Amino acid sequence: MSSGEVVTMVMKSAVEDDDAGWGLGIPEKMKNNANWVDITHEFKGACKELYLGELLHDKLFGLFEAMSAIEMMDPKMDAGMIGNQVNRKVLNFEQAIKEGAIKVKDLSLPELIGIIDTSFCCLITWLEGHSLAQTVFTCLYVHNPDLIEEPALKAFALGILKVCDIAREKVNKAAVFEEVRNVLQSEDFQAMTYGFKMANNVTDLRVTGMLKDVEDELQRKVKSTRTRQGEQRDPEVEVEHQQFLALFNRIKFTRLLLTALITFTKKETSSVGEAQKLVAQAADLLSAIHSSIQHGIQSQNDTTKGDHPIMMGFEPLVNQRLLPPTFPRYAKIIKREDMVAYFSKLIERIKTVCDVINTTNLHGILDFFCEFSEQSPCVLSRSLLQTTFLIDNKKVFGTHLMQDMIKDALRYFVSPPVLSYKCCLFNNHQAKDYIDSFVTHCSRPFCSLIQIHGHNRARQRDKLGHILEEFATLQDEAEKVDAALHGLLMKLEPQRQHLACLGTWILYHNLRIMVQYLLSGFELELYSMHEYYYIYWYLSEFLYAWLMSTLSRADSSQMAEERIVEEQVKGRSSKKTKKKKKVRPLSKEITMSQAYQNMCAGMYKTMVALDMDGKMRKPQFELDSEQVRYEHRFAPFNSVVTPPPVHYIQFKEMSDLKKYNPPPGSADLYMAASKHFQQAKLILENVPIPDPEVNRILKVAKPNIVVMKLLAGGHKKETKVLPEFDFSAHKYFPVVKII
Amino acid sequence: MATMIEENGPSTHSEVSPSSQARQKLEGLLNKNMRIRMTDGRTLVGLFLCTDRDCNVILGSAQEFLKSTDIFSQGEPRVLGLAMIPGHHVVSIEVEADSLEDTQRFGANR
Repeated sequence: MSSGEVVTMVMKSAVEDDDAGWGLGIPEKMKNNANWVDITHEFKGACKELYLGELLHDKLFGLFEAMSAIEMMDPKMDAGMIGNQVNRKVLNFEQAIKEGAIKVKDLSLPELIGIIDTSFCCLITWLEGHSLAQTVFTCLYVHNPDLIEEPALKAFALGILKVCDIAREKVNKAAVFEEVRNVLQSEDFQAMTYGFKMANNVTDLRVTGMLKDVEDELQRKVKSTRTRQGEQRDPEVEVEHQQFLALFNRIKFTRLLLTALITFTKKETSSVGEAQKLVAQAADLLSAIHSSIQHGIQSQNDTTKGDHPIMMGFEPLVNQRLLPPTFPRYAKIIKREDMVAYFSKLIERIKTVCDVINTTNLHGILDFFCEFSEQSPCVLSRSLLQTTFLIDNKKVFGTHLMQDMIKDALRYFVSPPVLSYKCCLFNNHQAKDYIDSFVTHCSRPFCSLIQIHGHNRARQRDKLGHILEEFATLQDEAEKVDAALHGLLMKLEPQRQHLACLGTWILYHNLRIMVQYLLSGFELELYSMHEYYYIYWYLSEFLYAWLMSTLSRADSSQMAEERIVEEQVKGRSSKKTKKKKKVRPLSKEITMSQAYQNMCAGMYKTMVALDMDGKMRKPQFELDSEQVRYEHRFAPFNSVVTPPPVHYIQFKEMSDLKKYNPPPGSADLYMAASKHFQQAKLILENVPIPDPEVNRILKVAKPNIVVMKLLAGGHKKETKVLPEFDFSAHKYFPVVKII
Repeated sequence: MATMIEENGPSTHSEVSPSSQARQKLEGLLNKNMRIRMTDGRTLVGLFLCTDRDCNVILGSAQEFLKSTDIFSQGEPRVLGLAMIPGHHVVSIEVEADSLEDTQRFGANR
């Protein structure tokens, strides 16, 4: 049993309300001194007989186990060390009430405001990834709201417990974090609630009701302290008025936030719109909350050395015993000034999440998830997105079948004849079987693909690598179904062709995944500079090349289908249909892919040229092998059949500059790179409605054009100072800076 | 000491040498409950797993008690799991009376 598991086991029993003990009987033994025999002298004497370096231990215990022991009296490992401890008494809620260290009634307005603001800060700190035990549950009031007599505080304590409970439930349901098996591992969300009671004895409705009652009462107070016409303004009453208003806003905010989260748990799609309205109302209160922060009481400074200021009603160490011994003593709680900014961003994210239901096509949803993920959103908003997308893992938004969405996506992308109403295959029994079975097999991988984008960026990359295996299987099946459908169609309707529609669509997604996998490595800063060249090579010369041909094939397939449909319509109606030049659905994607390809090509050539000029730091150690690194970077691609992975030897052959006569020098490569960046710039400047991404790429392309031209002209050729790569404008493409 | 050769298995000498006797005593305590008071006043209770010449002791399933063992104002002990107490921080070591068998009684020679 690992120490972590022992800790988990014992921790579970530790949280009984009554500290009746452990069930291990040891405290009893502890109390009975007569049982223990002092052997200090003899033990130490016996130890001296051991050799230097000799360990005396049981067969089953060795260095491997010994290694994981925490060292006592080492301040870094021994959190409980006396001398490392605080001088104040750490009291729990009940003890604090008994000692009069905490008030449960007759709290002043500043006290209430201060407590609420600190609790909000704790809530935010928890959502950012710290443990409940060191954040929300450092507030003693939430340990047992039944003991609170002050109605506003009681309602608030229950409210915040409910918010935590629902948030936790959502995150668990969405499972956007890894299972925490070993308690000592920290993941991006603490799943354990340490057995804390989350107001389970009170219904959600009751709590919102209590908050509303308090709100109404406070509203009366606000009104009664308002200035009346012609009356002299009493400064004290004015302050009271402001404070009542501050408290009112906070209670209302809590109620709206809670109600919004409750609404998310409802399964009807209309509830998403409702939730959006509620959070918007909550957001309206934020500026008033921000400007009234100063009314709340502040933390008192503890005089013990190096300790945190303690806020009334809070005890940061009250749960220390529930945590593993090597846990840091305190979680850094965010400051009140930052609280409103955080809430405001959170609400923006939640509003964005609510918009997802307006996207009804699969590719659109996938793009939505991708874009949302790029802001690195918090775990709660990611979870809300996941659970809104796939309610109970069954239907998309609770209404659409995944299979139908996939069929729509196929129609949009590649217009396969079998899915066209006008095609004879549409009602062909056998064809239907083929396509339905294929689409059903696609459901799970595509759900997974979308859900992958609900994880944090690092985990996404990892999972994208793994999902390529599933897609390889799909590709295989797609080929078979394509062949079968093609054969069928040839017999039944020879003027129409099925070709490789399904295969094209799967290939498209395959390529997207591979591209994303490689590009995210830049964002996550995984690659060393000397690796850039082969990453960019793989992207520009290989993946994007394939992507371009796949997209154009899909486009042709669409056009072929459109022509046939037009013929059929023309044949029937006598009207002359006016030919309108419509925007091809895939044109934006083709354009962007071309731009990306040029950017990658430019970067590839830049890196090769810099290396030629000796401006690249490479590993020089004896056992170094670029091949090993290369194979590792592209390892997940080995399960892909189409496109076939490019192995190192093959890469070296394909990228060998000596096959040109004469082989290009660095100046030629810089010029070529400059032209690529120029090309990208031209393509992007022609985009009719430029989105932020277009502008971001331009911010990199433009300076790089200039830098490459300078380098081609021999600028700073002799300097051995390494160039800098600035990823601040675009996370995948750096601006190259020559010092 | 330098001339002494470490052997596996029991000593073939008819007279048990003092150093292997010490080892036997210590080995007899392995996996038994042990209570150790540290220099800062805390007490650790756990299973004796390992020690060395400098009397560094490793306890398994260790629990930390803050006050002296007679007064339990803290109530719950803190669970540490696997803990190592450096020899120079050990003030006292105690074992349960039944852990010491008659034949190997520590301090029986007193």
